[in-house]
Amino acid sequence: MLVLTSVVYACLGGGGVAVGWPPQTFTLQAGFAPDALGVPTNLFTTMTFASGAGAGAGVPEPVRDLIAYAPAGLAVDVQGISTCERTQLEADGPSGCSPESRVGFGGGVGVLELEGSLVKESYTLDFFLAPAEHGHLAMLIYVDASNPVAVELVLSAREIRGRRPYGLGFQVEAPAVSTVPGAASASVESAYVSLGGANVAYYKTIRGRRKLVHVKGLVAPTNCPSGGFPFETTVTFEDGTTSTARYASPCPHGRQ
Amino acid sequence: MPAALSVCGVLVASARAETLATVTSLFSPDRLRARGSLSLTIQFADPQGGVPAPVRRSILRFPAGLTLEVPRLSSCSASRLSALGAGGCPADSALGHGHALVEAQVGSQKISEDVSLWVFLGPLQNLQPTVEVLGRGYTPFDERVVLSGTMLPAGGPYGEALALSIPPIPTLTLEPDASIVTFSLVIGAHVDGRAHDANTVRLPSSCPQGGFPFAGEFTYADGSSGSALTTAACPL
Repeated sequence: MLVLTSVVYACLGGGGVAVGWPPQTFTLQAGFAPDALGVPTNLFTTMTFASGAGAGAGVPEPVRDLIAYAPAGLAVDVQGISTCERTQLEADGPSGCSPESRVGFGGGVGVLELEGSLVKESYTLDFFLAPAEHGHLAMLIYVDASNPVAVELVLSAREIRGRRPYGLGFQVEAPAVSTVPGAASASVESAYVSLGGANVAYYKTIRGRRKLVHVKGLVAPTNCPSGGFPFETTVTFEDGTTSTARYASPCPHGRQ
Repeated sequence: MPAALSVCGVLVASARAETLATVTSLFSPDRLRARGSLSLTIQFADPQGGVPAPVRRSILRFPAGLTLEVPRLSSCSASRLSALGAGGCPADSALGHGHALVEAQVGSQKISEDVSLWVFLGPLQNLQPTVEVLGRGYTPFDERVVLSGTMLPAGGPYGEALALSIPPIPTLTLEPDASIVTFSLVIGAHVDGRAHDANTVRLPSSCPQGGFPFAGEFTYADGSSGSALTTAACPL
């Protein structure tokens, strides 16, 4: 599969300053499953962050903000999906949200400093649909890690619209996560996200009868542009630098 | 909400423990030479409380003398079962039914799904009888899988064995496949006046000391394997 390395934009405030380290980069891959046009689908994406070369050599720069765009034509149908309030998720974790409010999962590997040593730690992501904000979709992301450091964190993702060839997008702000006072913030080495599904269903009682309801969720675009489905993600790091990665997922069976 | 942090004392992750399997069996009616049904339940567990490894292949061994009686020979292929579901198979090819519970660790949560099972006689393969098992779950994932098995001769104290292949049960892209936690089948039917031509299990004419022996061998997706033994007590 084709992997496009990130395109790095100028982002060092002040301009004209000579910098000794190459900027932070990451790679992006994404696609739909099933890989077909106009059908309920699962959107999956992976990101891998290169190690920084500066003072924290060997550790990717911590992420502060992420903006991700999916191809134009990707539709969202939240009929049948309930919502979860942030307060519920913060108080009770994922069990505090209705199963019908789940819209995705994910995870990855983080890097953190513990007692002077760098430690890698797996984490998981749970995505829930939140009440719409000013007519825009919103999601809550529950970040969970347990060993060696327990981390429970609720992030918000708000819908934004991208310019062609992009459409649906989301912006996520991430706070600094430090393990112990004085230690560097935790950073992300890799992340994967899996949103929506082609065969998600639940039972609903309608007029006293139990009926199986299929959730559409995400519906793949009905056509595929020349060059494939475009995806783009821009990440702002803790040091203020910004990096953008793009990926084109091949069209289903050559259909454009 | 600020990040909630706590530090654990142990940094070293322990190696994954082997999956534990148990088998239980029950005859109905529980009488020598009787025609009826056999209930078989297999349970898989992760000793650490997580989701057990997905099982990929099982070999179930049945007591010597135990036979499957099929008055009207009819079969259903895996492709037909997969395309049309249980309703697409001839009624005479139905051998039994059951249910399963599958689980997957998706995100931070353990997600489970109830699955209905239907067992059919499959077409002969290399002159060996085959069995097809349809699994159908509806929520949270509307999925259908077919497990294919072959009946083989088994050494004493067993008579025949069922070698069953279990395909991966997908959940979501990038997330782990689901694992079977409980797999319970009822093979054969209770015989009454109206169903004398039903497919049934016939108990042996004698019971070995210690009861009717059953055994299971299981191979898991992580490469590990295990086994389980059980006996059904002799009829009183």
